[in-house]
Amino acid sequence: MTAPRTESDDRSCRPTPVVDRTPGRRLSTVDRVRLVAEIVAAYAQARRALRRAPIASVLSVLRAQSPPSSQSPVTGRIDEARQLGRAVARTLALLPGDTRCLTRSLVLTRLLARRGIPAKLVIGARAAPSFLAHAWVEYEGHPVLFPGDGSFGRLVEL
Amino acid sequence: MTAPDTVSDTAARLMTSNISVPQHVVYRSFPSETVMLNLETCKYHGLNPTAGQMLDALEQAPCLRDAAIALAERYGQAQSVIEQDMCELCALLLDRGLIEADDSPPH
Repeated sequence: MTAPRTESDDRSCRPTPVVDRTPGRRLSTVDRVRLVAEIVAAYAQARRALRRAPIASVLSVLRAQSPPSSQSPVTGRIDEARQLGRAVARTLALLPGDTRCLTRSLVLTRLLARRGIPAKLVIGARAAPSFLAHAWVEYEGHPVLFPGDGSFGRLVEL
Repeated sequence: MTAPDTVSDTAARLMTSNISVPQHVVYRSFPSETVMLNLETCKYHGLNPTAGQMLDALEQAPCLRDAAIALAERYGQAQSVIEQDMCELCALLLDRGLIEADDSPPH
C-alpha cells in the first residue's frame, strides 16, 4: 500500500453557462425589474449569511417563511423554476463578487422557496482529469440550474 | 525530566477509539481519489486511494485497531505499519474536523 495522503483547499467550481433555452412566460418590464431586484436582494442575503454560518444554516434562513408548497401541476412549476434559474444566472453574471454556482444555487433556492417550490441544492464533484466541484438546484429530480456535463458525482443534497 | 509523550498518547487513544465521519461531512470515492466535503467550512479535501480505503475500513470497524487488522490481512502487510499510517491519517483528519474519535467504552 502506498502512504495515505490528504490534500485540502477551497477548490470550487468555475462558472458554467446555462444552456437550457426552453421558452418561458414573458414578463412585463415592471415584473422584470421586480424580479431583478428580488435576485439582487437574495444575492446580498445569501452572501451575508454564507460569511456567518455553515451552508445548512444558510439554507434554513433562505427557506424561512416560505409559503406552503404550491398545488399547481409539477410540469408548470418545473418550467417556472427553470425560467427563474435563467433569470438568476443572467442577473448574477452582471454583478461583482462571487456569483459562481453555489451562490447562484442559494439565490435560486431563495426565489423558489418564496414561491412555494421546494427545491434541493445539490453539490457534486469530480476527481479527474482535475478536481472540480459544482452546485446546482433540482426540483422533483429535474435540474433547474445547469447540472454540469454529467461528470459530477453527487456528494450531497441539501 | 522528560516531556510527556503526547504523540504516542494520542496514537494509543486512537487505537481503541471508534472513528466516525460526522454528519456535517460528506464524502464520495472516485477511482483516483476520495473527495470529502466539510459542510461547516465549505472546504473540499482529497484523499488518495490508500487513505480512502483506510477511511472506509475505519467506518466499518469498531475501532482503529480492528480496521488495521482487516487491512493488514487484505493486503498482506504488517499490522504495525498500517496502524501507524492510520494513526497519522486520523490525526490529519481530526485536525480538519473530518472525523470524530469516540474513545468511550462501548455500551
